[in-house]
Amino acid sequence: MIVAKRKPLNEIAEMLAPYKKVTVIGCRSCVAICLAGGEKEVKMLVSALKVKNKKEGKKQEFEGFVVERQCEKEWIKEVEDKVLGTDVTLSMACSLGAQTIGDMYPIHLTFPGLNTGIFGVPEEQGVWSEKCVGCGNCIIHTTGGICPISRCAKSMLNGPCGGSADRKCEVNLEIDCAWAAIYDRLKIQNRLDLIENVTPAKDWSTSHSGGRRTYVREDAKLTPHQKKGKEAVQ
Amino acid sequence: MKAKVQVVLCRCCTEMPALLNMERLQKLAAESNNVVSVMTVDAACGGKDLGPVINEAKEKEIDRAVVFACHKKDISPAIVKAYRRAGVNEFLVEFVNMREEVVLPHMSEPERAQAKAETKMKAALIRSIMLAPLERQTEEMKTRNVVIIGAGVAGQAAAHEASKAGVHTILLEKTGKSLKAPGIIMTNAQLVGASGYGGNLQLKIKAGEKIEDLGAAAVVIATGGGWTTLKGPLAKSVKDAVPLYKFYEQMQTGSVPKGPVVVVDTPDPAGKTMKVLDYAWDDTLETTIELKKKHPETQIFVIFQEMRAFGLSELAYKEAAELGIKFVRYDKGGAPKVDPKNPGVLMVKDFAQGELLNIRFGTLVFASIPPNEDNKAIAEALRIPMTMDGATRRGSIQRWPVSTPRPGVFVCGSALFPKSRDVAKAEGAAAGAMAGEFVKRGRIEFGGIVALVTQEKCSACLTCVRTCPYEAPFIGTASKAEIRVQACQGCGMCVGTCPSKAIELHNYTDDQIAEEARVLLGGDF
Amino acid sequence: MAERRPKVIGFCCEKHGMDAAVLSARSGKQLDASVRIVQVPCTGRVDGIHLLKAFEDGADAVFVLGCLEKNCYYDTGSIEGRKRVGYVKQMLTEVGIEKERLEMFNSASSNAWAFPDAVSKMVDIAKKLGPIGGGERQ
Repeated sequence: MIVAKRKPLNEIAEMLAPYKKVTVIGCRSCVAICLAGGEKEVKMLVSALKVKNKKEGKKQEFEGFVVERQCEKEWIKEVEDKVLGTDVTLSMACSLGAQTIGDMYPIHLTFPGLNTGIFGVPEEQGVWSEKCVGCGNCIIHTTGGICPISRCAKSMLNGPCGGSADRKCEVNLEIDCAWAAIYDRLKIQNRLDLIENVTPAKDWSTSHSGGRRTYVREDAKLTPHQKKGKEAVQ
Repeated sequence: MKAKVQVVLCRCCTEMPALLNMERLQKLAAESNNVVSVMTVDAACGGKDLGPVINEAKEKEIDRAVVFACHKKDISPAIVKAYRRAGVNEFLVEFVNMREEVVLPHMSEPERAQAKAETKMKAALIRSIMLAPLERQTEEMKTRNVVIIGAGVAGQAAAHEASKAGVHTILLEKTGKSLKAPGIIMTNAQLVGASGYGGNLQLKIKAGEKIEDLGAAAVVIATGGGWTTLKGPLAKSVKDAVPLYKFYEQMQTGSVPKGPVVVVDTPDPAGKTMKVLDYAWDDTLETTIELKKKHPETQIFVIFQEMRAFGLSELAYKEAAELGIKFVRYDKGGAPKVDPKNPGVLMVKDFAQGELLNIRFGTLVFASIPPNEDNKAIAEALRIPMTMDGATRRGSIQRWPVSTPRPGVFVCGSALFPKSRDVAKAEGAAAGAMAGEFVKRGRIEFGGIVALVTQEKCSACLTCVRTCPYEAPFIGTASKAEIRVQACQGCGMCVGTCPSKAIELHNYTDDQIAEEARVLLGGDF
Repeated sequence: MAERRPKVIGFCCEKHGMDAAVLSARSGKQLDASVRIVQVPCTGRVDGIHLLKAFEDGADAVFVLGCLEKNCYYDTGSIEGRKRVGYVKQMLTEVGIEKERLEMFNSASSNAWAFPDAVSKMVDIAKKLGPIGGGERQ
């Protein structure tokens, strides 16, 4: 899932300093699960900023709450009056949530409280590791289920680089060499023959390098006839 | 319905009035919201003064009480029981420790103590009104089965002891060896799955090729140590090294071991994979003494880092030394290793003399018992914790020496860490007795102060499931967390950790705790 | 000018934490009266929210007292308590508040010294660092 982490509090405090009334909006989805922006974190953030203001003799008004999924307009609409009635909104969701609020209410200020992040797998409680960078063309069936794009520092496609030593990556000795892992995996799957296939150079157009991507399901789109409210109007 | 509070002020004989102004406290109580009765007793701990209090409670139709006295644990059982007669829910009787928090520690500061007492009273009364009545529940145990995993020394002792309590024992033995023990014996049987909670567990047993469902009220883990496993660099370098128990068995068949016999505590003397705890001192001494008595001409050496022959086994240590068994102590700086130039010689630096010894050996025996590999599967099935080196972890050596943190799941013997047969037998009996006593009750009590999930707020993040030691939270059919109240111990760990604040613990909700703290901090003393 | 009295609040578990506090009182130990105690079933119940709110509500110093980690009544509760305290200490540092104002303590129920030691340590810190934001108490 999307994993984000809270910006340092002093950075957030600086962002919010010029404003009297601050509304903090978290999210119950990914950022709650990765312990960055759920209701607990929102409440703690508000409390910490209040304590800071107490120390500095400042006065700001804070309100904090969460919505179910901050990247969906319907849930933001439910709290519209809170957004419109404040001086600044601090989003404690991933940047998708922060931008959704910003796009819906462009005149109003919505600031990001978190740094997003990675597509992370919870390796254990409290540890999320990146295993996908969204390249848009998954080939893990040829690499025993291990992604070389995300897990190899150089995104090599045909075996390890010359710097791989003792099953570790030359970039950082804490990181396992992805291709050593791929080799081991293919070995136990009895598919080592796959290693000998030459994978041609990657077509990166499906990844972010090709520009901002939009995924569409034409059959799911609502025709103008179906749209409600003012959405159909051009 | 409006709350009706009764305040009981205890004089603690004369201790309270000696420091505090009781009249002011009574007045403050009487003037507080929702307080309809203020009573004073001389000694709440005595139990004698409670008659008039309960009568007034009944008369005034009190629904909650706040007792200002001493430590809750000392007085609550009798007082709660008395209030039950007046129809007051046990969880609406609060105790405030004036004696140990306000009077005893501030004897030279009566003014500050008074202000503190008044603030505490204010906080307690506000808290009392925020509380909700809670109910305890009971559930019948569907079976009286105590399932014992492992029919070794500890497991058999557990079966004997548990059956004395009149419960049904079911002994699971993974091998096909023939046994005699009370209750049912299932050979070629292993635990492969478990669900439920102590008192009503549902186990999955693999018996031969089939998987069977088995209900149980309690489980005793007696899987023993990894008797025949040798893991470690020293074991790798000696081809025919043999584990102590195998050596012992061979001795019983009458075979004569090739001397000199050298017993080393662990195949990992540098301590990289095993701690020095992992060997059985008692059994080493017993085996070597038996060997020396049978074959006095055989040279025997025992190489060890620590000899923990405790209690009466010190006499065995003495006897072994007197029989001529040589004890060589080493430390990690002079750990034993095989002479690279001579594979039949063990080199070790004697700690006492500082000399490097070259010991020729005919048989190398390792006294170590690493944890049983089965522990992992059992821990996975029962969701109980393990130690980092693969043993089953117990709740607390002080209070739960033969229990895992999960109620109803007990553990004994070398499954915890290696020990001699006598000690394993004693532990098995202890675990069997505890399991028997638990199951004999026939029902489990739970409820009252337990956690509760508001599912609309839950993010199904699994944090509560992973944090709880008692397997109380689980993700239910609505894909949201639920609490198995039968397993919940009311600690509130899940509540404090939930990132979406979806769980509450009554009567320790966030609001209740925060309000109490706020009022206490508002007082000036 | 009225003497500035420090405000210290402790969240004590109802098991070994409170037992230690009661034992110290019954042993005759005298304490600074500034300390307030909130009882919780287990220090694992303590939420970072409570700790931060205590500072909001006027605490100069806050502590959490639980069982010894290897002997926690609820097995892992005081480990959780320690983690909560650690996280809030980090937050305090990020907003420029001295992290010494918040501390975690562990005690056995048979230790009559642990509670007075914790209290005097936190009272000293409260006196040394003063109220958050300085100035007179509200």
